[in-house]
Amino acid sequence: MSGGQYHRPHRRAWFMERPAYIRFMIREVTSFFMAAYLIVLIVTLAKVGVGEAAAAEWLQALSTTGWKVAHAVALAATVWHTITFFAAVPQAMPIYIGEDRLPDPIAKIVMGYGPWLTATAIILWGVLR
Amino acid sequence: MAETKTITLELFRYHPETDSEPRFQSYEVPYDEDWVVLDAINWIKDYVDGSVTHRWSCRMGVCGSCGMMVNGEPKLTCAAFLKNYYPFPIKVEPLVNFPVERDLVVDMEGFMDKLQDVKPYIIRDDVNDTSEGEYLQTPAELAQYKQYSMCINCMLCYSACPVVGHEDDFLGPAALALGHRYNKDSRDQGQSERLEVMLRSEAMWGCTFVGECTVVCPKHVDPAGAIQQAKAMGAQEYFKRFVMPKGAGATKGAGA
Repeated sequence: MSGGQYHRPHRRAWFMERPAYIRFMIREVTSFFMAAYLIVLIVTLAKVGVGEAAAAEWLQALSTTGWKVAHAVALAATVWHTITFFAAVPQAMPIYIGEDRLPDPIAKIVMGYGPWLTATAIILWGVLR
Repeated sequence: MAETKTITLELFRYHPETDSEPRFQSYEVPYDEDWVVLDAINWIKDYVDGSVTHRWSCRMGVCGSCGMMVNGEPKLTCAAFLKNYYPFPIKVEPLVNFPVERDLVVDMEGFMDKLQDVKPYIIRDDVNDTSEGEYLQTPAELAQYKQYSMCINCMLCYSACPVVGHEDDFLGPAALALGHRYNKDSRDQGQSERLEVMLRSEAMWGCTFVGECTVVCPKHVDPAGAIQQAKAMGAQEYFKRFVMPKGAGATKGAGA
């Protein structure tokens, strides 16, 4: 005999219960790769600050297969995180024109992909010219 | 004579006066492609087992009473058609993340308390006499919050949210969306009062934007979007209080 309410047991592996939860966890995990790459980037800037020889030595160290794979993984994680981030932008920052809400696909371009591609193009122009 | 088609419903059963643990009980129900899961449960209660306990009212997706887990998904059972599951069995459970009172009925008290916490009503410094006319609002001002006012309190979003199940202090999707609905109302001046509650530790910040609350919402309220907007509003309020501590509470709301 119980006589009271039934409380379901705590679910430790809740993230395995629905595909959407797994997608959420993948999105969150990509942050670690982005953070790791930022550390590499900061070290690179520090080496450049030290001098040309230190920078060249650091870049040489980064040219190993292991580092190349790490960079490829970080790039894939960053691209995926960016896509999921831009997908969330219209929900978090809806734009209204009068009483009409800007459709999500347009909002993603206006606030996400547009500025991203523009910034990328400017940086590429600065680097390659 | 053609054999009558049937479908199996596996119902979660728990009677607190006799059961220490829940169990599942199978029922064969006549299959009608126009029937929804709620029709099947009602048929079981009317013709097979009157002790089956469930909550329902309107049968048309308006009252929000008949939310249950259908094959592990939070659904309004009045909108879950048998034909979408036939010929496979359908497992029906009470909404997860809530204590179970009896069979398919959950305890809503905690949810109701959270709704009250966000002060879901218009707060004004001045209360004008009706002879002075209504508080007018343009269609553009209405559009800012209308989507968030469509909630029917069905609690599906609470069952879809993993944070609700792990963080007691989290106010949850429906309550936060409702709070945001009033914060965005141009007639309201109670934003500071509401944010006082929403800014508490995990009340709002517990949301990690899983987004499933929005996916399961039968009324397209988008609680996940409302919470992210409320977070931005809360962050602004936090920094205002940090920079101008004496001016705390100065933010009145969308209409001030």
